[in-house]
Amino acid sequence: MKALVTAARVALISLVLVIFLFPVYWTVTMAFKPADEWTPTSGKIYWLPDQPTLDNFRRIFGGTPGGSASFLVSTPINATDSIVNSLITATFGSLLALVVGTFTAYGISRYRAGGNMLGFSVLQLRMFPPIAVIIPVLFLWTYLHLFDTRLGLILIYGAVTFPFVVWLMKSFFDEVPREISEAAIVDGCTQFGAFWKSVLPLVKGGLATTALFVFILNWSDFLIALVLAGNKIVTAPVFLSQINSAATGQEFGSRAALGVILITPPLLLSILIQKHLVRGLTFGAIKR
Amino acid sequence: MAQIRIQNVTKTFGKFDAVQDLDLEIEDGTFVALLGPSGCGKSTTMNMLSGLLEPTRGEILFDGEVVNTLKPGDRNIGFVFQNYAIFTHMSAFDNIAFGLKVRKRPKEEIEQEVRQVAQLLGIEEMLDRRTTELSVNDLQKVAIGRSMITKPGIFLLDEPFSNLDAGFRSYMRAELKKLQRELEQTMIYVTHDQVEAMSMAERIAIMDRGRLQQYGTPDEVYNQPANRFVAGFVGSTMMNFLPTTLDHTGDDLVLTMPVEGARPVTVHPRSAEDGDDAFTMGIRPEHIELVDPGSAAAWLRGTVTLIEALGPRNIVHLTSDRYVLRVVVAPTVRPRIGEAVGLELDSRRVHVFSDASGKALV
Repeated sequence: MKALVTAARVALISLVLVIFLFPVYWTVTMAFKPADEWTPTSGKIYWLPDQPTLDNFRRIFGGTPGGSASFLVSTPINATDSIVNSLITATFGSLLALVVGTFTAYGISRYRAGGNMLGFSVLQLRMFPPIAVIIPVLFLWTYLHLFDTRLGLILIYGAVTFPFVVWLMKSFFDEVPREISEAAIVDGCTQFGAFWKSVLPLVKGGLATTALFVFILNWSDFLIALVLAGNKIVTAPVFLSQINSAATGQEFGSRAALGVILITPPLLLSILIQKHLVRGLTFGAIKR
Repeated sequence: MAQIRIQNVTKTFGKFDAVQDLDLEIEDGTFVALLGPSGCGKSTTMNMLSGLLEPTRGEILFDGEVVNTLKPGDRNIGFVFQNYAIFTHMSAFDNIAFGLKVRKRPKEEIEQEVRQVAQLLGIEEMLDRRTTELSVNDLQKVAIGRSMITKPGIFLLDEPFSNLDAGFRSYMRAELKKLQRELEQTMIYVTHDQVEAMSMAERIAIMDRGRLQQYGTPDEVYNQPANRFVAGFVGSTMMNFLPTTLDHTGDDLVLTMPVEGARPVTVHPRSAEDGDDAFTMGIRPEHIELVDPGSAAAWLRGTVTLIEALGPRNIVHLTSDRYVLRVVVAPTVRPRIGEAVGLELDSRRVHVFSDASGKALV
């Protein structure tokens, strides 16, 4: 019986793993397959690249790989520009949301800033899908000369992820006893000093988690970048959707190559802050 | 070192008066306990002394200077919180050093001061450990060390021992008392535990519902409670209360209890009556003795219903007419349940309270 349960458990875990990891496996292998291996032309499925190649990467970075395969990208920029755009907009947009959101969350949690309404109205920002408001925002951004600029994307990324930061950070701050900051104030800290030296270090695990969450949201945004930018400023997800060629149409091999590159920053970030990701918040020392 | 004067202080939260018209004078270097049930305003008073709260009305003076709006960090106080409020992201050393670091003192001085405080508290070998590895008992010492490091003139302790186990609590009580003598500092200790207040404090301020009920030495609050609340709150076994009527004979008062078979008791009043006509007499369980029910000295007769054998003493519960009384007796006295006993009382230990105001007449 026990063996049966174990077997069932292993089977279930394996199934879930296959479902989750298959797309990653397919993307990574496809990135290294020549065109006739990822297209159905050969009438054969290649589970692993038969003749591994870096051509897919060369193409998106503007190189012209050997042979006659002509490659026409509909935008005048290459992958490097789009990755730089994405890095800048996602990073600064996330930082903006984190800084403003963390302070807002502390105010709501500790001082009940805005009464009971502020927290709720912050949440309102997320009540409709972004698509519902993106067109008015487009007019506004055009009027403010923010359309198709990095600054414009940074501001909108900061704004749309701000509510997540507020609500996540508020829940972390709520768990820090009031006395922690009071003790620091009695010991001579200012309100800000108490926040900075005594409260913030206690929630740094939560802050790291929030940062990663928000960065992934901004990094993988497609819709906002498509509408509010896309001419001069093209982000990587938008660029990915535009990799086509006259010869083969949709260039899935090159898209997979860019996909592999796009996985890297969030992956590196999670590895870097991994030890903070598990909520290692030790409130054990504080009896309530 | 500092002398504290609280003048007519009121703190209001919305429509609720947490502290009302509080007047309290605390002499330099004394150990004062703020005692009362939860919600009595003692913690609010503490927070006003620390500067975390500002009084709605009235003034707080340290050494004759009004400190109402002075920031907590500038008041020269040390505060120990009930939950310790240890900074768990720092080592024990950094926790204790915190106040000095905020004040940007030189590194060598901090090192030296922290070692000294740690030595005093017996936690030297724990200084480099992470606070998450320390026991609750040691954390409490770290918290006390952190509040001591700036050599504050006033120590404020908000129920600091309520999370400790019983044995260590009584040890810490003695340690704290010793520490206070050594430092000769003004120490204010908030507690709801009357044993803690009685055993440590030189003076006790008893509060209830935002008002000061009595301020006096442990001896005074125990022997001469100012009102019925204090009489009932202080004392490890609660005082017995019985309704009574008063008759005057010269300067004395004769108490007659509406209990079957009760003999009148003659007492000498401490303060004048205030026109009230309903009274309650109070007698502590430790001031009653069990005698033979037929004895002429018996003031009251009762039937034993329960015996709590506590070791050093027994508490006998008994009923007399429709009233329940408790008597503290020596461990050797063990009446049977259901046994009829006589009660003899020490009339000098009898208290009389006016029902309307609660004020003590005797």
